[in-house]
Amino acid sequence: MTRVRRILESDNFSGWALAFPAVFLIFVFGIVPIVWSALLSFQRTNLLSPPQWIGLANYRALPSDPLFRQSVVHSLVYTALFVPLSVAGGLFAAVALNRRIRGIFLYRTAVFVPVVLSTIATAIMFLWLLDPNFGLINFLLSKVGLGPYGFFDSTSGALYSIVGMTIWGWIGFDVIVYLAALQGIPASLIEAAEIDGARAWGKFRHVTVPLLGPATLFLVVWSTINALQLFDEVYFLTKGGPGTATYVVVYYLYNLAFAQGIAGYAAAIAYVLLVAIMALTLIQLWVGRRWVHYAS
Amino acid sequence: MTGDTIPGARPASRDKADARTRKQPRPRREPREEGGRFLFSPWHLVLIPLAVVMLVPMVWMLVTSLETLNETRHFPPVLLPHTLAPGNYAQVLQQAPFARWFLNTLIVTVVTVAGNLLLCAMAGYAFARIKFFGREVVFILVLATLMIPFQVVMIPTFIIVKHLGLINTLGGLIVPNLAQAFGIFLFRQFFRTLPVELEEAARIDGASRIGVLFRIVLPLSGPVLATVAVITFLYTWNDFLWPLITIYSPNNMTLQLGLTTFEGTHQTVTNLLMAANVMSLLPVVLLFFLAQRYFIRGIASTGLKG
Amino acid sequence: MGRTRTRRRIMWRIGVPAAVALALLAAACTSNGTGSTSANGTVNLVMWMGYTPPPPVSQSAEYLSLKHIVADFTKLHPKIHIRMVYVNNDFALQKATVALQGGQQPDISYQYGTNMPQLASTPQLVNLTNLVKQPQYGWNDFFVGERDVATVSGKTLGLPALVDNLAVVYNKTLFAQHHLAPPAANWTWSQLAADAKAITNPSQKIFGLTFPADGSETTVWEYEAMLWEAGGNILTPNNSKAIFNSAAGVRALTTLRQMQQAHSLYLDFHPDAGKSEELFNSGKLGMIITGPWDLSSFPNVHYGVQIMPSFDPGGSHQTISGPDNWVVFNNGQTRVNASLEFLRYLTSPSVLLANSLATGDLPTKASVLKMPGFAQFDKKYPGEGVFAQNLSNVHQARPQIPQYPRVSSSLGQAIVAALLGQSTPQAALNSAAQQSDTYLTTGG
Repeated sequence: MTRVRRILESDNFSGWALAFPAVFLIFVFGIVPIVWSALLSFQRTNLLSPPQWIGLANYRALPSDPLFRQSVVHSLVYTALFVPLSVAGGLFAAVALNRRIRGIFLYRTAVFVPVVLSTIATAIMFLWLLDPNFGLINFLLSKVGLGPYGFFDSTSGALYSIVGMTIWGWIGFDVIVYLAALQGIPASLIEAAEIDGARAWGKFRHVTVPLLGPATLFLVVWSTINALQLFDEVYFLTKGGPGTATYVVVYYLYNLAFAQGIAGYAAAIAYVLLVAIMALTLIQLWVGRRWVHYAS
Repeated sequence: MTGDTIPGARPASRDKADARTRKQPRPRREPREEGGRFLFSPWHLVLIPLAVVMLVPMVWMLVTSLETLNETRHFPPVLLPHTLAPGNYAQVLQQAPFARWFLNTLIVTVVTVAGNLLLCAMAGYAFARIKFFGREVVFILVLATLMIPFQVVMIPTFIIVKHLGLINTLGGLIVPNLAQAFGIFLFRQFFRTLPVELEEAARIDGASRIGVLFRIVLPLSGPVLATVAVITFLYTWNDFLWPLITIYSPNNMTLQLGLTTFEGTHQTVTNLLMAANVMSLLPVVLLFFLAQRYFIRGIASTGLKG
Repeated sequence: MGRTRTRRRIMWRIGVPAAVALALLAAACTSNGTGSTSANGTVNLVMWMGYTPPPPVSQSAEYLSLKHIVADFTKLHPKIHIRMVYVNNDFALQKATVALQGGQQPDISYQYGTNMPQLASTPQLVNLTNLVKQPQYGWNDFFVGERDVATVSGKTLGLPALVDNLAVVYNKTLFAQHHLAPPAANWTWSQLAADAKAITNPSQKIFGLTFPADGSETTVWEYEAMLWEAGGNILTPNNSKAIFNSAAGVRALTTLRQMQQAHSLYLDFHPDAGKSEELFNSGKLGMIITGPWDLSSFPNVHYGVQIMPSFDPGGSHQTISGPDNWVVFNNGQTRVNASLEFLRYLTSPSVLLANSLATGDLPTKASVLKMPGFAQFDKKYPGEGVFAQNLSNVHQARPQIPQYPRVSSSLGQAIVAALLGQSTPQAALNSAAQQSDTYLTTGG
């Protein structure tokens, strides 16, 4: 009896007992599919007919694929712009929304609305807003003597237009996370800083921002992982165009697998993406942890 | 990650006897009413443009939802329609299983959020506090699932769900997402920022691991619970691809999927699509508006260990 | 200790099972998407189709007509029940791919003609080659373009579901405003370009002609019609080499490029979003090359329809068609037979006539055009008569090979690059042809 009780109260048992339900689900619905996709990456298949095993051929073909290289560049550019802008923007917006003034709940709700809007509706709206000839934005810009800009219709501007559109659509999420974090900063610390003579910007830089370290780290990691997997907006709005200006990695692999029936190659691309995201995340966590620790 | 314990304040809580009896500092509430004497705070000058930028497209949506189909067939869009057609809303409700879609999405979202909060908190705690065999390896594997795009894994997931007999059911939408890696990650990170002394004290008093989790740790976890809840909610609410391939009957569709039926065979029925969108948005937005108060108060009053 | 144990027990006993139970309850409440055969001989079929159900009723003519046809069929064959399941056509291939992997495929599915080569590789697709030779199918009554699209590598794999073609829809009011004669049936591309130039009005943002420029098949197929009109072809007859970079191909692309340089061509980078249709309906476009499906999008315009122009006077007015198919998946012989029974009924001339009159869709069989009831068609749907007659200008179809999507992708990018001035038409087409050749030789 005592031995059973010892087992039941051991770290191994209680650890596994607590972790098991979630880990099991993730294993079944996450790991197994990932392994399956790994197998897929060594095949030539269109998912409809019996596959052929071709070893590493898919991976070897990647470096010489111009569209793959383009997709990688676009994904990286998109991420490099989206992450800092949306996280920093979210921070400033959260600070502005962390006020007790009249109507603050309305303002916060306004910022939240784009996040729950369906991608289809967002795409249709922005198609009009940013239309080169008839769009509202160009109309307003023309009133101040700027533009017209090609936005989604220009090869140079399309990717940046997607950056803008997705920041608009997702910044509310960063705001929520930051708001929650800001609410958790004890008044005593801010007051202490004020007593020490800090002014608004100083307070912000030396007290608030470091205390938001964990939230910032989370948002940066989370945004990066999602940005590198950009798909919906490209699929619904630009279809990778104009030309190939907005071809991103996941759109490319989706096209390959489902529109062109080249699923094995698509799986290989997905694996390269997986490794890249993993590496990037680990770097961010390592740097972030040191910075958060240092700043605190 | 939204940990609200300040490492610098640790020394005060090192004495565990004191930890439980020491008076808590006044919890952080909403900032003091600003612009006190003046009716108009300068912050409005920042917030109004922000709100306008966020909401202007909604105006277009609202206007379009009230137009006749003919008037939507214009580009640039007609912003001052000649005829209003508020009957669009009735049409959507009567002729499409809109209420059903909404209910389906609600069920799926609520159950998924609840499941994630429970299961990920448990797992996150285990990863954070309990040294068990294989902990590190399993954690890395769990994280890896975040980094592969869904488009790649959706087919094997479909096959598995099919073997479970859950195709075309709400269960098929819920079960694969009932525990998500990011939830585990967030809970683990958050729990690690909590000072371990409280939990150790409780264990010495004879509490079990799970007892510590539910009685000591979770009550302090307002921020992370809120964060995981919000993220899970948004992810589930917006999910389109998975419902697309598993749901067949219009009665089992979620909102996002149901909205695609307004993209007709040849043209998009924009006015009804926008009416449906407005109706999908309103309850969520209302919920957020009302829940804000709870959100903030809840976080503020449970958050603090000074 | 006791209290903690109780609480833990409560949590485990109630919380977790509750969540699981809810999930299973939700699971139990609904059925899955496959058909069945029951013991008393009733066959339940599942049919995937992309016709949207109401609302609104005004946009659901095809759905309602199909429902009517199914109801009529069930009266004639009480033991065959058909369940119509809405699957957006854009996703039908993807959804079928996933469903096949999981054994959840339907009995009948509507599929774009361009999906056929990919679908052809699945063993579950029923091979109709020998069946359609039977007289009750009226196989040769289908237009040649449709038969070509339903056939992959000599195997017939589907029955034509829909046929269309491209013609020019023009704004009569704009033509009249600029004192231009309406296009005649023997018009040429130079005349079209001249008309477009005359109509273009930059200050009012009115363009002469619109062209899809997203590089997808939407771009390519419109270009291919022009390629054929110029006397060129996409691939060699044995599909081994790309030949669209011939003089004819360059001529077609150059015509477009010149119009773009004259600012009379509106490049639509989002053709799937319906922007060109809306612009046309708002009086911002003089002409749009499109098919019969779009006519209902122009309620505010006095439009006319004319067949596409030729390049040389008296030359070819060949056009392109994008037929779609009904395919049958093998879920057992009984269900296959029932499915075919239905499809034969669906494609019988009298049913086709009724469907055309109800929906405005062109009939898929040539004999329907000669039926007396067909005279109503153009009266009810002004302009459709031209599209119906234009079916005789469809002489060939796009190559139904698995590599076609990749070829199309290269060609599409080339067309857009040339239109944007990033490359000369000849250079762009040459590079696309080179790329396509590699796809054609390696087998995709």
